[in-house]
Amino acid sequence: MTTKDKYKKVAYYPGCALEGSGHSYNRSTKAVGKALGLELVEVKNWNCCGAMEVKNIDPKIQTYLSSRVMSTAANEMDMDVVMAPCNGCYHNLKKAEYDLANDQESAEVVDRLSKKAGHKTYESGQVETIHALDWIKESIGEQGLAERVKNSLSGIKVANYYGCMYTRPRHIFPEKDQGPGSESTSKPHFMDDLLAAAGAENVDFPLKTACCGGAHTLSDSDTSTKLVLNILKAAKLSGADVIATECPTCHSGLEMHQIRAEKTLGEKVDIKILYFTQLLGMALGLKAKKVGVHENINDSMKFLKEKGLG
Amino acid sequence: MPIHEKSLIRPENLTTHEELVLDGVDVSGHWSTFIETRVVKDYNEDMQDEIAALPGGEHIHRCWQCGSCTNACTVNALNPDFNPRYWIYLIRMGYESELLRDKDIIWQCVSCNKCTYACPRDVFPEGVMKATAHWLEKKGHTEKSPSTHFDEVFTEQIVSTGKIEESRTMRRFFSRTGQALAQPWMIEMVKRMLRGLPVGMLTRMGLATLIAPKTNDWSKASAAIQEYIDEQHDKQVQALSLAELVETAKQDVAA
Repeated sequence: MTTKDKYKKVAYYPGCALEGSGHSYNRSTKAVGKALGLELVEVKNWNCCGAMEVKNIDPKIQTYLSSRVMSTAANEMDMDVVMAPCNGCYHNLKKAEYDLANDQESAEVVDRLSKKAGHKTYESGQVETIHALDWIKESIGEQGLAERVKNSLSGIKVANYYGCMYTRPRHIFPEKDQGPGSESTSKPHFMDDLLAAAGAENVDFPLKTACCGGAHTLSDSDTSTKLVLNILKAAKLSGADVIATECPTCHSGLEMHQIRAEKTLGEKVDIKILYFTQLLGMALGLKAKKVGVHENINDSMKFLKEKGLG
Repeated sequence: MPIHEKSLIRPENLTTHEELVLDGVDVSGHWSTFIETRVVKDYNEDMQDEIAALPGGEHIHRCWQCGSCTNACTVNALNPDFNPRYWIYLIRMGYESELLRDKDIIWQCVSCNKCTYACPRDVFPEGVMKATAHWLEKKGHTEKSPSTHFDEVFTEQIVSTGKIEESRTMRRFFSRTGQALAQPWMIEMVKRMLRGLPVGMLTRMGLATLIAPKTNDWSKASAAIQEYIDEQHDKQVQALSLAELVETAKQDVAA
C-alpha cells in the first residue's frame, strides 16, 4: 500500500488539550478530514501521552503512557498509523517509539507496567505516528488540495509557526531531513506548503521554530510573555496578518500571552492567531463556525469576513 | 579550560579604599581597587554522580564544553546568567558553592530542546537542566519551584484518572503555589473566551469541570505507575544520600 492510501484511514489521537482549550483544533481537524474524504477512527479509551510534566517527574512513565495509546491502536484496533494533531502528543509518541527501539531499560519498564495494567505491551514498529500536517500533505498533497479549494486564501499573509516539539530533538524524527519531499527540522515547510496550495501568501518568518515558553506558561508567566511577544512582533514585522499554528499549547500560549503582554506590559500586537486546519477548512468552503473560529480567544471573525471567508 | 574568570570578578571580590596612604603616598580612590584572592575549598566530588543518577542527567559526562547549548539557549537570550554550559562545567568540577549562586534560575529552562538539537556530544542538556533543578530541590538547596509544583499536580491527576482536565489542573496549581486565580489578564482572557461562545460549548466546558474526563479501567495502570514512582523515589533517596542528610540535620538540631 502506498503512503497516500495508508493515510486515508488512520487512528486519531486527539489528546487532552483538544478536549479542552484546543477544542477548535479538534473540531477543525475533524471537519477538514471529512471535507477531504479522509477517515479518522478515534483511539479507544485513550489516556494522556504524559506531556512535558510527567516526563519531568520520570521519563519512563511518559514512555509507558504513550506506549499504551499505541498499543491500543495496534493491538485492539488493528491500525497501523496513529495521527496526533497536538505537537506534544505527536512528540511524545515519537519519543516513546525511539526509546522503545533503542533503550532496553525503557522497554523493560514498559513491559512490566503494561503487564500489571493488564494490556498487551507495545512493540516498537507496530504503528507509525504522524502529525496532522503529514496526514494531509501525504494523503492529499498540494496538488489535490489546490483542486479542492473553494474559497482561496489569497490576500491573506501568513506566518507559519511550528514551535519546538514538532522538530526537536532531531533523533526522534528519523523520517525528517531525508532530502526532497521530507520535512526539514531546521526550516520546516509542510504547513507553508499546504497553506500556499490553498492560496495563502506565506511571509518570510524567522521564528518558525522559536519557543513560546509553553512549558512554563503558568509557572513562569513573565518569561512566556516575553517569548510570545518576540514571536508576535516578529510575525507582524514580517508583514503577516495571521499566525498559523499546529499545536494547542503554542496556540493557547500565543493567545494568552498576547493578552498578558497587553495587560502587564502595555504592549499590544494586533495579529490574528488561527490553527492551520481552520484556514484550510475555510479554504475548502467550510463556515468559520464549522471550524471553531468562534472558540478561539482572539477574535478574527471580522478580519475573515473582510477577506471573503467564513 | 573555558574562560569564566570574568564572571568571578564580582562586587564582593573588589576592594577599594577611600582613604589609604602607603609609604607616605596617598592611594585613595578607585584606582587602587584590587581583586581579592579567591580560593575554592568546598569541592563536592559527588555532585556530578548524584545529578547523573537523576532522570535526564545521565549523559553529563560527555560534555566537552563547546558552548553550543548556551549559544542556542532560548532563556539565555533573555537572561545572560542562564548559562547551561557554565553550569555543566561547575557540576563536573564540583564547584557547588558557585552553582548555588544560580540556584533560583536553573528551573527556568523552558525545555525547547534547542540545546539538545545543537549539542554535538549528545549530552541532552535539557535533561541535565531538569536533573540539576531536581537535585537542588531534593538536597534542600531550594524550595520546590513553581514548575515542579505544576509537574506534580499534573502527574497526580494522570496517575489517578489517566487524563488531564485543564481547568482543574490550573486551579490546583494556583492553590498549591498560593497564587490568586483572578489576575487582571486572566479575567480579560476569560471575558474574551466567553464572547461569542454558543451555549452548547459553555455547557460542555462546565460539565468538564464537574465530571473530569477519565480513562476507563484505569485502576490497574494507576497502581502500576504509582508503584514505579515510589520505587524510583527510593532509588534516588539512596543515590543522593538523602537519609544521611536528614540524619546530619537531626544531629545539628540536637546539638
